[in-house]
Amino acid sequence: MTPTLMGRFQTRILLYIFLALPITACVSLYLDLLEIGRFWDPFVFITAMTVVGLVLDPVYMQIQRFRWDNDWPFAFQFFFTILEFGITVGLMNAGLLDALLVDRIETSTALFHFTLVFIPSFVALLAGVQIFLVHWRFKGGELGRL
Amino acid sequence: MKLELVIYPTDSNSSSNRHTINLEGSGPFTLGRTQSCDVVVPDQAVSRVHAEITIDGEDIVIKDAESANGTRLDGEEITRAVWPSGSIVTIGSYSIEATRKDGEASRTSVKIPPTGGAFPPPQFDSPTVDVGALKGSGLPVEEVDYLALGGGLGSFIWVDHLRVFGVPAANIRAIGVDPEPQAKYERLCLNSQIPRRERLRSNSISTPDNIWGFPGYASRETWVDLKNGKLGGLKYIFQVFGEPAIAESYTPRAGDVFESIEAEAKRIGWSDIWVAGRIVKIRKTTDGRFAVAYRVPAGHARSGPRNKILVGKHLHIAMGYPASRYLDDLQDFKREHPKSDRVINAYEQHDEIYDKLEKNGGIVLIRGRGIVASRILQRLWEARAKNKDIKVLHIMRSRIVEGRKFDLAQRHAEHDIEYQPFNWPKSCWGGSLRVLLEQADPARRAELMQMWGGTTTADRADWDAMITEGKKDGWYRPFFGEVEGIELKDGRIETKLESSQGFKEEVRLDADYIVDCTGLVADLEANPVLRDIISTYKLERNNISGRSPEQRLSGLKVTNDFEVEGMRNQSGRVYVSGVMALNGPYAAVDSFLGLQYAALRSVAGLAAQRAPTLKQLGPFRSASQWIKWCRNETP
Ligand SMILES: Cc1cc2nc3c(=O)[nH]c(=O)nc-3n(C[C@H](O)[C@H](O)[C@H](O)COP(=O)(O)OP(=O)(O)OC[C@H]3O[C@@H](n4cnc5c(N)ncnc54)[C@H](O)[C@@H]3O)c2cc1C
Repeated sequence: MTPTLMGRFQTRILLYIFLALPITACVSLYLDLLEIGRFWDPFVFITAMTVVGLVLDPVYMQIQRFRWDNDWPFAFQFFFTILEFGITVGLMNAGLLDALLVDRIETSTALFHFTLVFIPSFVALLAGVQIFLVHWRFKGGELGRL
Repeated sequence: MKLELVIYPTDSNSSSNRHTINLEGSGPFTLGRTQSCDVVVPDQAVSRVHAEITIDGEDIVIKDAESANGTRLDGEEITRAVWPSGSIVTIGSYSIEATRKDGEASRTSVKIPPTGGAFPPPQFDSPTVDVGALKGSGLPVEEVDYLALGGGLGSFIWVDHLRVFGVPAANIRAIGVDPEPQAKYERLCLNSQIPRRERLRSNSISTPDNIWGFPGYASRETWVDLKNGKLGGLKYIFQVFGEPAIAESYTPRAGDVFESIEAEAKRIGWSDIWVAGRIVKIRKTTDGRFAVAYRVPAGHARSGPRNKILVGKHLHIAMGYPASRYLDDLQDFKREHPKSDRVINAYEQHDEIYDKLEKNGGIVLIRGRGIVASRILQRLWEARAKNKDIKVLHIMRSRIVEGRKFDLAQRHAEHDIEYQPFNWPKSCWGGSLRVLLEQADPARRAELMQMWGGTTTADRADWDAMITEGKKDGWYRPFFGEVEGIELKDGRIETKLESSQGFKEEVRLDADYIVDCTGLVADLEANPVLRDIISTYKLERNNISGRSPEQRLSGLKVTNDFEVEGMRNQSGRVYVSGVMALNGPYAAVDSFLGLQYAALRSVAGLAAQRAPTLKQLGPFRSASQWIKWCRNETP
């Protein structure tokens, strides 16, 4: 991938809306969180993770400048997404999300949730978005026409 | 009967450049680039057999032999004509004069107009033609909305976009000399030692057969392997996942790319779109369109007319590299020894030297350090498996101790070669470097491209191992410096080199063959059709900087949508791609992905102007078209 900063932001939000939110709703229902009044907790977690990502995006752009190809290998994307998950879990366990959560999510549950969101999102980057948006791959991940 | 021909480069008619050739008999005498011709013209714009001369009674007759770039008599394109004394025949960048050296010589021939009627018709002498008048002239005139000129990969990719965006095949024509869009490209690949089984230097998602870039060649290769029960196929997906950081960049097999293009050509109805023809002239029409005069090659004309006109509303020009060129000193050598087969351009057919080397051994001198030099070295390495008596000398201009720098990054360099996976940093195709270049002014663009481009090769472990082995075992030796001259000596060629290694010293290198790997030249004016529109419509060119400041090596000035504004004709548009657009808003124009980018920009641009039968490709239409692609259904 050869993302631009705007491309990173826009693609991240695109995947958040079209993949992360619907999948999170399914996860929440599957875990019967609605009944115990914690339906929104996974949403808080995945939104927090998206925000962590948005904050890190400018940092990634700086790393990219050291690369001659000015690119972002899929392997980096893979590794740093897992890192973003780790950071979000850390923030949650440090109590930073307490105001928004009914209760903190167990790490194993968070990992289950994360895996279900991560795999399709990663596949979409490799092989999904461009089927719908022909200009996307030439725009460094930005939406709209060239 | 005796005939004297005087031949010289058209742009330098000095006595030292004039060569005299005497011919005896009545012919036919062949003129062309190959050694077997009676008159060898060492110019890449000249076809292998370009023209034929016969003596017919008192006349000298010149006949074009279906050449790619045509034959002109006193500036006028001819197929067959009487050649009066004093008239000049031009082929490629050479001019030829002929005189009878027998009894007839004293007679002055009368100039007779070329046979078969002038083509293109005289209307084409002015910058605008009237379609009604053309129809009145009796020539067959066909009219379409979209017209692609060249019929190579650039044309094919543009047409593929039009088809997927909704244009019916009947509204499109593509004029070219080869029925398969990849024919010319495949020939260049074969000559530079990339047979179908070899891998190209191309990205997985650079897919000339698929406008989405998905599935890429890597996943297709994995899929085929897995279907055949080969788990090893997963390696290609892993390469795409890890490249270029933790895995060597994936690059597709030439054969897979060609087969995919063949399949897509079938799917979009290319055989109905392609028209056999050599383009002769392009003119604006008075009603906001473009008229293209073309000549049908003999093999395709059957009994129909040879000279035809196609009129199009929107034009796309992708005529590829006009010529391959030799380094200056090698060019001089070819001129002096037109029959010698010792100096070879890597882009031309030269397989026989490997056969000879495998049999007899010998020394090969490589000039240039790019990807083609790597290919030739690989081929020689393979030949060494059959004959250990092959040695390779490699001349490069200067040492490279460290790679170029840009911003915070530096290019990898080793063995005095700079490496990058493709010929531009990857993000030139669709990342931040693309944006940076597009937004830069012309002077800054030239600077940026100077920094990012240059001669590089792919970092392939097998090539690296060959050089390391060659240096160790002594069959490969690099030299650095400026070549002062080359000379034929006892059947071998001696190269005098002003070496720049350590002390300045003169080195003499003997070799059996010299292979020039310095490349193809994008001198647009070597293509007569382009030269004509450049001067007729005063088309602007892009800025270039660097070693060759000649503006003629630069592309046409285009908008960010690849439109040549100087050709605009009311609502009619002309777009270009490939080397026609070098040094413009996009660096990687001459690559599959670059051709796709240019096609997408121009087709989306046309859709924005509501060009006939063309609609933007929104997410749902895009996905449904993609499904059609997967099912191999017509768009
Ligand atoms: C050896 C080699 C290897 C390459 N490898 C790669 C690679 O691995 N990956 C990559 O992305 N890019 C590669 N490229 C670059 C580029 O993708 C190809 O050169 C590609 O073929 C360019 O397409 P084109 O349409 O500009 O030219 P072409 O495919 O050459 O098409 C131009 C066509 O115009 C025709 N033409 C010219 N004049 C006339 C006329 N007067 N009338 C009618 N027809 C005419 C020619 O016959 C030709 O068929 C390579 C280039 C070369 C030379």
